[in-house]
Amino acid sequence: MANETTGKEYKFSDIIADPAIKERFTRVRKYFFLRESTYDMSNRCNLRCEGCYYYAGDKQFAEENLNTADWKQLMEAEKDRGITFVVLAGAEAGYVPDLCKTCFDIIPLGCIATNGLIPLSKEIDYRIHISVWGNDTTSLEIRKAKNMLVRQMENYQDDPRAIWVYTFTPVNIDEAREVTETLAANNHQITFNMFSVPVGYNGHLRHTPETLARTRAVMSELLAEFPDTVIFSPYNIVAHTHERGLHDLFSCSYPRMNPSTDIGLGRSFRQYRTDLKWDRAAACCVPDTDCDDCRHYAAGSAVVTARMYRHATNPLHFSAWLDYVDTYLAVWVKGYEKSSNLCNELIEPPVHN
Amino acid sequence: MPTDTTQIITRIAEIIINELKLEDVTPETFEADLDLVDEVGIDSMDLATIALVIRDEFGIRIDEDDYPKLTTVRIIAEYISNKLAENE
Repeated sequence: MANETTGKEYKFSDIIADPAIKERFTRVRKYFFLRESTYDMSNRCNLRCEGCYYYAGDKQFAEENLNTADWKQLMEAEKDRGITFVVLAGAEAGYVPDLCKTCFDIIPLGCIATNGLIPLSKEIDYRIHISVWGNDTTSLEIRKAKNMLVRQMENYQDDPRAIWVYTFTPVNIDEAREVTETLAANNHQITFNMFSVPVGYNGHLRHTPETLARTRAVMSELLAEFPDTVIFSPYNIVAHTHERGLHDLFSCSYPRMNPSTDIGLGRSFRQYRTDLKWDRAAACCVPDTDCDDCRHYAAGSAVVTARMYRHATNPLHFSAWLDYVDTYLAVWVKGYEKSSNLCNELIEPPVHN
Repeated sequence: MPTDTTQIITRIAEIIINELKLEDVTPETFEADLDLVDEVGIDSMDLATIALVIRDEFGIRIDEDDYPKLTTVRIIAEYISNKLAENE
């Protein structure tokens, strides 16, 4: 098919004839079986962070179901309908370790999103995403918690489940270096997220073209300087700091923005609230986020990954896509090791023909 | 490259069997009306890969919005036949 920049037509077989591309495609393809859904585990949180998407909208008012038998039944039903990967989130999963363990016992691949202040038992062998929103001074201001990074590192020292997720906002861009250096010195890993405004949010954390560009520059520097610590790729940087959001660039495939139930996320994805109910109209990994502003790392992990076909037009775009998928797997699947990036250029995403 | 519909169906079945590493089925015994999503358990990434292999082999353009609808071997064969006819 024709490359929009060079005009040269590549067959897919030509693209994967490159040994490095073929090796990477073969590696990531083993994980094509992953089918995710997400679950709000608790409506409680020990923090109140400005701009928290969980406390936007009405899902925060859903009653908690703390009945282990009900969760066991749900997980078994999820497994039966083909779900192979669970994302346990909102508000703070650390409050309900027994429910997390119930999920793990039935669907052993997954991830827990946490603020990291309530340590989770190693019996729950999921990947653990620990949120960080700047240095401890900024965390105190935005999250009202003291010494967050130090406490998070104490709770997850030498724990291969843990990866820190640094959410870039307009006010913490320059603090990412300090946080990355600290995590690197303690042999931890970090990946990057972008603050994406909840529906109706009018605060000062919304990114602008200027802050997107500054974030892009800082991400690039940190990826180059800390390749063993920063789990990211140049194409991740492009996708998440582009002036156009993820939906505009890649056509979001979550049910909330995708009416098709033919195949893929539009067919299988559900987002359960704490009362174990779900609503197709609200189903995505970050419900109540303003879709036009969505640059969320979790959304990109599914939305960009789902666009393999669009990227299989030339070796450069396909390499960039493979880097993105390689990053996604390293961030989300415990035990998957990130490889070196194949494409070190900041290339524009392909146009949807 | 097969051009006859029956040959196309057999070749598509062969591609699917190879790509998904299906066992206990041959291109000749693969049911052309079997729903690849509901009955074979194929997901979007597998279907995208199959669409890329078919695109290569038959030299046709498959729109990104089209391939998710190609959910049986017969539907794929009809799609290919129509595309080949357009190219003539």
